[in-house]
Amino acid sequence: MSALDEVDVVIVGSGASGSVLASTLARGGKRVLILEAGPERTAGDLYSSQIWARRIKWGGPPTDSTGTDPISVAFNQGWGTGGAALHHYAVWLRLHPEDLELRTRFGRGLDWPLAYDDLRPYYDEVQAEVGLSGDAVAEVWRPPGTPYPMPPLATFEQGRLIARGFAKLGLRTAPLPLAINSRARDGRPPCIYDGWCDAGCPILALANPLAVYLPKAMAAGASIRHRSVVTRVLVNARGDRAIGVEYYDAAGHRQVQVARVVILAAFAVQNPRILLNSATERQRGGLANSSGLVGKYVMAHSAANVFGLFREETQNFLGVTGGQLLCQERYAKDPGRGYLGSSQWLIANALKPNDLLGIANSRPELFGRPLHDFLRRAALHLATMTFVGESLPDPGNRVVLGDRKDAYGLPLPRVIHSYGVDDLRCWEAGMSEGQAVFRAAGAYEVWPSGRANQHILGGTIMGRTAEASVTNSYGQTHDVANLFVAGPGLFPTAGAVNPTFTIHALSLRTARHLLQNWASVA
Amino acid sequence: MAMSERVPSPESRIGRRELLAGMGAITVSSACGPISPRRARASRAPLRRLAAAEGRGLEALGDVLLPGAAAAGLAHYVDDQLGRDDPLLILKYMDYTGPYLGFYREGLAALDRLSLARHSRPFEDIAPEQRAGLVGEISRQTPPGWSGPPAPLFYFVTRNDAIDVVYGTVEGFAALGVPYMPHILPPHPW
Repeated sequence: MSALDEVDVVIVGSGASGSVLASTLARGGKRVLILEAGPERTAGDLYSSQIWARRIKWGGPPTDSTGTDPISVAFNQGWGTGGAALHHYAVWLRLHPEDLELRTRFGRGLDWPLAYDDLRPYYDEVQAEVGLSGDAVAEVWRPPGTPYPMPPLATFEQGRLIARGFAKLGLRTAPLPLAINSRARDGRPPCIYDGWCDAGCPILALANPLAVYLPKAMAAGASIRHRSVVTRVLVNARGDRAIGVEYYDAAGHRQVQVARVVILAAFAVQNPRILLNSATERQRGGLANSSGLVGKYVMAHSAANVFGLFREETQNFLGVTGGQLLCQERYAKDPGRGYLGSSQWLIANALKPNDLLGIANSRPELFGRPLHDFLRRAALHLATMTFVGESLPDPGNRVVLGDRKDAYGLPLPRVIHSYGVDDLRCWEAGMSEGQAVFRAAGAYEVWPSGRANQHILGGTIMGRTAEASVTNSYGQTHDVANLFVAGPGLFPTAGAVNPTFTIHALSLRTARHLLQNWASVA
Repeated sequence: MAMSERVPSPESRIGRRELLAGMGAITVSSACGPISPRRARASRAPLRRLAAAEGRGLEALGDVLLPGAAAAGLAHYVDDQLGRDDPLLILKYMDYTGPYLGFYREGLAALDRLSLARHSRPFEDIAPEQRAGLVGEISRQTPPGWSGPPAPLFYFVTRNDAIDVVYGTVEGFAALGVPYMPHILPPHPW
């Protein structure tokens, strides 16, 4: 083991939150080191293939995912530079004010320790720096914010066909806001609509970490060390100050990185795992866990697709994976519907024949010659849209340490997750609505997928008190002042929007807070 | 005005026919040495992780799941990926906590045991309609006495392996009549 030179900030993970934090802190004059568990990735590595795309999904030791509704962990996590954001679909939506005030407004779930108005300036600033494409006027459900800096991306036949069904039912649609260039901007080219987002966008039209924040971080002097697997946060004898992290390098050697501030930005499963594995004599239940809530309140949006076959050619191979249009007519929470929860539709996702979300898996029961026949029809005539449903916070949904151990002898994570009654009713209402939309649109065959999930949230929730949360609104742990957590694990509620925009906004807010309060924190 | 009227589609920049024609000129090299899984299979190259009988069983299963998968090199594809540090198999997405080689070995052995119990012969030796019947059964539930990975998971994974080798490639897209439109064409299919 060797102790390396002290840095101001060590950040564990190079994804959405880690890259924003590294960029902002390095530009603020701090010496920043990112430790990334996976290998180095460059834009040139992002081959257009759903098979090769699996390289950039989690390649570390597996998570034991259990419960009535197991969360899809490996598919959601990233592996290498850029983390999960390297393969994210760039659907950048703002949480709604009510999402942050669930307990206050509805007497259920939790509140965030900040309001939408606290977050809005950071949404706006990130939006200006990254560049979003959309139509703020058409998006009638959109919370307050500056208009999008770029016009929306194109709509193709698949989107037009499905929009027809929404319109017939009196439901409005709008262009989907995306962190993808609709025109050249800041040296990045516009999207070419080839639908390879899941494999990573090598032209950097899509704002993954390689496109925006990591280059800025490196230009400001930050550095990144790949194949560096952080196993524990190290603390002083009293257990109230982090002194750095323990990690294993590419050669498998144990190392210690000393830092004045430690930020865990390793996603919603690995962050609590690291904290739980950092238990000491004084903190037997895990670090920063005086509340007993580390690992608790894990959430995942309920997800499903509605599929339909049309007589018309749908051009489903054109566009972007996230979709072309948005409908949030059921976003406003209304317990009068028989459940508490928001939902939205991401309409007309670009499709490929193979892979988890491919055309063939829209009919998983088909095999043999009927599968060939279906693929030949569906390749040109299938349309789809994706349901995203809220999952209410439940402390029973959690990350714990499992019985199995990794190569370094530390317990692997086990995730336990089940949807509640409200979550299931929300999903059922969505499936009913989605099929009605497709029938109204003229599809001659309509069917729903099975229930799935997307986006992993919670597990290290923020809150106002040390008794009821792991961190404050900046991700600063209540127990260890110079230890921060970043990313979707901070979310006390899930809302029903894709989380990456919010992750960026929260991370920028945390970085600014750190810079402004450096002397008292570090 | 709809956005599609303002932004030219890729098809207007390059016709679909040209895209498909262009793909025909692409030479595909191999991930598993000097020859592709399809050619490795055609030349009867030995498998390195799976036993020969396991390879035959996987091919028999693959051709029930998606006819043509065996000839496309399914067994050599899976065998080659099983030797890698970070396999590109769809099993990677399943949060499966056991060894990958064991997943295939145990699944194939369980399928053979099921076939022996029902039809007194290994899976590769039973009639096509019998094979289809067993595959339909494991697609829905884990049969009584099955030991190995959950049968529906084994079905799902091997079905997707078959789809990958047949339709997850440049040639596969062309067979379906859709343009591949790569940003960066992979150096080999997998």
